[in-house]
Amino acid sequence: MSLFWDVQDFVREVNRVTTFQELSELMSSMSKMLGFDYFALVHHVELVAPEVIDIENYPSGWREMIIERKYTSDDPILVACEHTNVGFRWSDIHRWISLSKRQKEILDGARTAGIGEGFTVPVHIPGEYAGSCSFSLRLNRRFDDSTMPAAQFVGCFGFEAARRVLHAQRLEAGKETPALPRLTPRQLDCVVLAAAGKSDWDAAQLLGISDQTVHQHIEDAKRRYGVATRLQLVVRALFDGQLTFRDIVH
Amino acid sequence: MVAVITSNNRAKYREQLNQMHRDRKKVFVDRWKWSVPVVDGQYEIDQFDTDDAVYLLGLDRLTHTHLSSVRLLPTTRPYLLGSLFDELCEEAPPESDDTWEITRYCEAPEWPKPSARAAGDKISIALVEFALLHGISRYVCVTHAAMLSQVLAEGWECEPLGLPKEINGESLMAIAMKVSTATLQLLRQRYGERYPVIELEARAEAA
Repeated sequence: MSLFWDVQDFVREVNRVTTFQELSELMSSMSKMLGFDYFALVHHVELVAPEVIDIENYPSGWREMIIERKYTSDDPILVACEHTNVGFRWSDIHRWISLSKRQKEILDGARTAGIGEGFTVPVHIPGEYAGSCSFSLRLNRRFDDSTMPAAQFVGCFGFEAARRVLHAQRLEAGKETPALPRLTPRQLDCVVLAAAGKSDWDAAQLLGISDQTVHQHIEDAKRRYGVATRLQLVVRALFDGQLTFRDIVH
Repeated sequence: MVAVITSNNRAKYREQLNQMHRDRKKVFVDRWKWSVPVVDGQYEIDQFDTDDAVYLLGLDRLTHTHLSSVRLLPTTRPYLLGSLFDELCEEAPPESDDTWEITRYCEAPEWPKPSARAAGDKISIALVEFALLHGISRYVCVTHAAMLSQVLAEGWECEPLGLPKEINGESLMAIAMKVSTATLQLLRQRYGERYPVIELEARAEAA
């Protein structure tokens, strides 16, 4: 029978969860239904950082190891997420990355903890931490390719539910989502071109406005961020996700 | 501002529609390498660009040039998902007055990205406004699996119509996006819009 109906039931249920605990239980039972043993719904930042998504049911000890040895930024599965935007099998990451010594150590560590093959759905949302949802098997269990399409859906909807719960918790704690300085589209146009190394004059030609206006947009943007230089402006806009690297390199 | 273009007012927006078809060719054929028909070597126009199609066009405030657009099709007439991608639906593709299809979301490739993207944000709001005006309760669309998270994060309440499938080397899926006044509030808040973005042509009633 098609897993589709299970996925549809899951979507309905996951839209109703209000706590990380409920979400964790639902993800746990859904990953079992898909034939997996473990799941991990995470933001790709050090897991001790405040206000991040971090829900998983890995064998005991593995999460502690990740935190203690600061594996997150080098974890080859998470690094592979930067190279693709659809779900991938862990054994396929060699397509994008050649493993460093430390990355081999991380994969060996996971195996020692009893974790075998897995499938990870990357989640890229502009202006937010990169994240992902992974499903994995106990060591030596065989991976069933036919579950990948359903896992893709479950990963996306699961992650969205986690975002929603996180947001609600912030509101409840009286914290607004941090108010970042917002740049106007025109200011951003000018920042993109400045980041690409264009002079005010070049930018003016490209945008069909005067170079004084370009200069003014950049100055206004710097004031909104409270920074002194163009470089700082570009770095801040990149960090906040108002700019993405694609805006600059394309 | 976002213009709503139907078979009734098409003549008035001929130049903008031509720009849209040229931009669609640059985006879908040149960049994404879709195998879709090209007319006169420069316009991407397919069998669904008919009188049934409604276009939402995000236009530059000063020059009125094309910045962003989508094509809407009623599911009671031939539409993309129902005709060419029905294998993405677990059951029969939807066919009802309150369900329309979104296709060919496009941002003008030659405009700086932030401007085109801001116009794209307005298209999202315009989609909801158009739906509420016309009694549409959900949209359906064929999308790349990679886009789902972003659609969800924008605030749309989505439901899968079938499992993703590999078609021509791409992981595609069919989803339904529900529309309500809550969706409108959410998107207006997200993008800081207080007023309707679609340009309403005043309907002068005879006195």
